[in-house]
Amino acid sequence: MNHDIDIKKLRINCFRQSKVAGEFMLQLRVPGSLIEAKYLQIVQDIAQNWGNGTFHIGMRQTLNIPGIKYENIEEVNKYIKNYIHDIEVEMCDVDMDVNEHGYPTIGARNIMSCIGNSHCIKANVNTYQLARKIEKLIFPSHYHIKVSIAGCPNDCAKGHFNDFGIMGIAKMEYHQERCIGCGACVRACEHHATRVLSLNKDGKIDKDTCCCVGCGECVIACPTSAWTRQEKTFYRVTLGGRTGKQYPRMGKIFLNWISEEALLQVFGNWQKFSAWVMDNKPEYLHGGHLIDISGYPKFKELILDGVELNPECLVAEELYWTENEQRANIHLKPLSQHKKAGPKE
Amino acid sequence: MGYKVDFKQMNHIFEQLSDEYDIYAPKRFKKQGRYSDTDIVRYDRVENIEDVVFDQKSDYPAKEVLSPITQPLFYFTEDEYRESKVNDKKILIFMRPCDVHAMERQNRVYLQNGGFEDFYYKRLQEKVKIVLMECCTGWDTCFCVSMGTNKTDEYSIGVRCLDNELLVEVKDDEFNSYFEDAANDDFKVEFIEKNQIEVKIPEIKDKEVLAKLKEHPMWQSFNSRCISCGACTIACSTCTCFTTTDIMYNENMNIGERKRTSASCQIDGFSDMAGGHSFRPTAGDRMRYKILHKFHDYKARFKDYHMCVGCGRCTSRCPEYISVTKTVEKMAAAIEEIEREGK
Repeated sequence: MNHDIDIKKLRINCFRQSKVAGEFMLQLRVPGSLIEAKYLQIVQDIAQNWGNGTFHIGMRQTLNIPGIKYENIEEVNKYIKNYIHDIEVEMCDVDMDVNEHGYPTIGARNIMSCIGNSHCIKANVNTYQLARKIEKLIFPSHYHIKVSIAGCPNDCAKGHFNDFGIMGIAKMEYHQERCIGCGACVRACEHHATRVLSLNKDGKIDKDTCCCVGCGECVIACPTSAWTRQEKTFYRVTLGGRTGKQYPRMGKIFLNWISEEALLQVFGNWQKFSAWVMDNKPEYLHGGHLIDISGYPKFKELILDGVELNPECLVAEELYWTENEQRANIHLKPLSQHKKAGPKE
Repeated sequence: MGYKVDFKQMNHIFEQLSDEYDIYAPKRFKKQGRYSDTDIVRYDRVENIEDVVFDQKSDYPAKEVLSPITQPLFYFTEDEYRESKVNDKKILIFMRPCDVHAMERQNRVYLQNGGFEDFYYKRLQEKVKIVLMECCTGWDTCFCVSMGTNKTDEYSIGVRCLDNELLVEVKDDEFNSYFEDAANDDFKVEFIEKNQIEVKIPEIKDKEVLAKLKEHPMWQSFNSRCISCGACTIACSTCTCFTTTDIMYNENMNIGERKRTSASCQIDGFSDMAGGHSFRPTAGDRMRYKILHKFHDYKARFKDYHMCVGCGRCTSRCPEYISVTKTVEKMAAAIEEIEREGK
């Protein structure tokens, strides 16, 4: 077969090259991973009309339709115009012009979420609502960023392996007068979390507030509502997690007890930070590498620029990741090959 | 006498009442539920009629007003002691019919059982006047009709809540004066006649059947289902068990306070004795004890009615979806089986 296809352009258009010559896989974004079931019809239509009849639940919770022939891409892009409008503009209030040419960029990746407290008994926050707010701040942009949101520190959303892993956490209130000293919270904390609770000699609970992860297991376990969550919700953010063929690593805690308001301001700075690192020339480079290139101190300075942190919020002064190097001394290379951040000469 | 008042007028009446009364009612505590972004409704002091939750059954029972979960009893210094203080005000409690019947049972346990009057309960109970919250539809866990607790005439004021006004029935003449400026109405409280659930409480005819029932395998199913958290007994309108604790303020064992705290027969350790023996070591044993207490033992002792008032709060609060009415049905089936085999 004779093809003349700009596959890089198609990749940015959210069509992934197939090993079958001339075929591509469409990746439909689902920010927050929760949408109305009626959109499954769209997946079915694309798969049956232009794909190979199958669909794949994407690793980043996109809806993937493989087997689309290059010559049909134009038609598919026309077909998904309404979907993009519904999801991005209507649902997430994203500021973009939706046209008949499909997705404008793949840069900011689909924001993953666990089901969150719209369903889960363990979750502290509504994950898809937060995802939709973040989508508005990072999409469409050619600067790469991977975000995943979990409703609680269990991190079923695997945020620890994303550039930004967000976990919904709660600050607890202890109503001593309602406590019957049954110890259910002590056992729950020991079993599920960080063993910060103990039963004292007066039949009440002592807490090591410093090491509480804010999961809310004590609230779930308490038979009397002696433990309750404060009304305000908070987030823990891990930074710089990734998988990959070079040096995969788990994210480390960057922010703890940050308010939603402040968290959204942080994401508001992502594009500015990326633009500075790459001197306003977006490349196909994952977000975590930008943090590596700039170094954590510079990242911290730019990402927190103008952010009004809530008083409870703690920020990592330094961050030391532990990489799983796929070969020893993988970072050793000639100085000339080192990447540099910031404005080029 | 009957009246119709809007919320504004009622709040004015609350203000006048507050000179003499502390008013308690089911109140919403936002986002304090077991799961995030859920509320709980529990009893607390209220100052406005808008704070009274009418459209939902409270998660926790009215008993918390008279027997709070933790209650200081007295303070001691060497050989002297002083009782904990209560204020001079009388107490007005918004209750549903099941709650009124539950208070009757509480009164009996605290004031008449074993020839002993509980001082700390009595000093609150004798100050109580009841505002009956009309309850005509109930909720999906209610079974008051089956327990005969759907009706009562033990109340001073009865109310029906409409959108932003109240219909009021005053039975206790003392309260008519508060409604002098209110429009007259011939409102009288009505009662629910049928719940969504109907339960037939089985009779246990003799000790032989009772002994066999205690050994019946049905209870063992709770060993894996029940987590022994005690949420059912804390939510129970009629449970009265408590434990007492002396709190020493420092190394000097002669200065401190004695308090009492609600206890639960469902929690492991409740029946532990000095020396280490435990009467009910499994969750199934404890469930059997509770169910028989509510639907057999209490009546066997006092001869008139069962302890359970059918408020259904235990079912509503159980995190493991154990239904008290289904459990009673299972017990009835077990009794039938035992009687069939005995013939």
